[in-house]
Amino acid sequence: MRRVAKWVVAVPMAILALATIYPLIFTANVAMKTRREYVLDRFSLTDTLHWDNIAAAWNSVGMARYFANSLLVVGTSVFLLLWLGSMAGFALSRLPFRGSKALFIGCLAALFIPFQVIMVPLSRVMADTGLIDTYPGLVLAYVAQFLPFTVFLMTSYYRSVPREIVDAARIDGNTVYGVYRRIMVPIGRPALLSVGILDALFCWNDVLIALLMMPSADHRTLMVGVTSLRGQYTDNIPTFASGVLIAAVPVLLVYLFLQRQIADGVTAGSTKG
Amino acid sequence: MSTRNTSPTVRPEISGRAAAGGTKERSRHGAARRRGRSERFAPYVLIAPAVLIIVALRLYPLALGVNFSFTGDGDANGTAVGFANYLELLDDPLFQTALGNVGLLVLLLPVAVAIPGLLATFIFLKVPGHRFFRSVYFFPAVLSPVIVGAIFNLMLAFDGPLNEFLGVIGLGPVDWLGDPGVAKFAVVGVQIWATFGMALVVFLAGFATLDASLLDAARVDGASLRQSIWHVIIPSLSQTIQFVFVTTMIGMLTSMFGLLYVMTSGGPEGSTYLPEYYIWIQQGQMNRPALASAASTVLFLIMLVVGLLQISVLRRAGRED
Repeated sequence: MRRVAKWVVAVPMAILALATIYPLIFTANVAMKTRREYVLDRFSLTDTLHWDNIAAAWNSVGMARYFANSLLVVGTSVFLLLWLGSMAGFALSRLPFRGSKALFIGCLAALFIPFQVIMVPLSRVMADTGLIDTYPGLVLAYVAQFLPFTVFLMTSYYRSVPREIVDAARIDGNTVYGVYRRIMVPIGRPALLSVGILDALFCWNDVLIALLMMPSADHRTLMVGVTSLRGQYTDNIPTFASGVLIAAVPVLLVYLFLQRQIADGVTAGSTKG
Repeated sequence: MSTRNTSPTVRPEISGRAAAGGTKERSRHGAARRRGRSERFAPYVLIAPAVLIIVALRLYPLALGVNFSFTGDGDANGTAVGFANYLELLDDPLFQTALGNVGLLVLLLPVAVAIPGLLATFIFLKVPGHRFFRSVYFFPAVLSPVIVGAIFNLMLAFDGPLNEFLGVIGLGPVDWLGDPGVAKFAVVGVQIWATFGMALVVFLAGFATLDASLLDAARVDGASLRQSIWHVIIPSLSQTIQFVFVTTMIGMLTSMFGLLYVMTSGGPEGSTYLPEYYIWIQQGQMNRPALASAASTVLFLIMLVVGLLQISVLRRAGRED
């Protein structure tokens, strides 16, 4: 492409970038306005930052509680996903055993079962086992949902680890479990980071599984909390926008610092598949 | 050992040492054997938790759900009703709308793939500001559909910024989320806005594997940009394109719940129903789990058929090149 052509293309791309960012800026701006300011003029940049909206959403609406619920559930789920996923990935990639191939294919197949297809029977299983509306129940649902993806990525990452490293560690007298703990976990750190961030985003952003598994109000996760804001604050848009902002900021921070790892995780399946 | 013991001529200290060495060796052997046995099961131990969870909470529910779909709801709970649920689904106008909207999504799919593909091409060709564009475009893809939906509730409100902007350039206000003919396009538009960055990043990863000398050769031969895209980029990236098609379709069929839930609740007049929303309503609001299971099974079949069809169509297209 010639230089001029590139500049010509850059103009609509810049407009698109603006269209991508503007809704977020608009929301943040509204969150900082008083109700009166909002009613009078929604669009102008607010001249004074009204943090009281944020405080109101955080305290009185219960966003603090929802935030804590989300942190607890997502943290536990991601820890379990990485632990179980890396163990399975190690076994599937670097330990020869009967049925290894069948298990890997089964795991791939499970990857293509969307939650919508199993949500009715799964909620019945959870109800039958008394896990519905409990934190362990939601954690288990998340682990089950994202484990095939985690196992798949960890397996393909560990396949790139030279067999010699594993063999050398075995000759040095390590048990298989020792190899896992001393070699595979440290060596898998980049993949664990990438997969962990993606799993965390999936769990943090989910609303359907949380709605289904956690019916009671004080068990709401942050995203379910945001959906409940809509009904409550139709006449108080700045508070509504503040709630949305509270839910979006953690993701924005993760994105700013770990964009590369997120992209790596997203694309890992595309080049190998 | 026994021969040594019966031979009195052997010097005792050596025999003693040999015997001691023998027991040590034997015990080491035993430990290795014991270790060997526990080691043989090690792969199964490592993989067991993952397999148990996947089987119990994904594969078993899938079978259970298909089974549910052939049983009744309410009074008929647990009794076999054959295909009654499926027949009821086909008669339900809401489910018909949901299927129609799936058709609409399939038709819009090429657009949802072409936009990020073209943008990725320009970013790959290093238009001014390409790094910035990449970061900005990708960001909405990591936001929850709930947050995206909430933000667009504000943006698309009747007195919201979009209508205000249209007013400035002299176009009448549009009831984006209140008009049955418009709302579904508004929701799909938001879905594309929120996810094109994901496909863009996948395309860029594909471009990273592209042989740059091919593009240079095409340019030296005087190929236009359109010719380069058509004859070099698309054939080289056929695997990536296939991946994006399938994942975008799966995304449209399974990750729009949050948007629908927050933006339209399936309305106005049920015009924005998708199968996943229908399943949710039947299970959660109408207490019709068996009917919902039938809808789940239909959704699963749709995804299977669409996925396989796309792969075979794209494969054939790839071969013709």
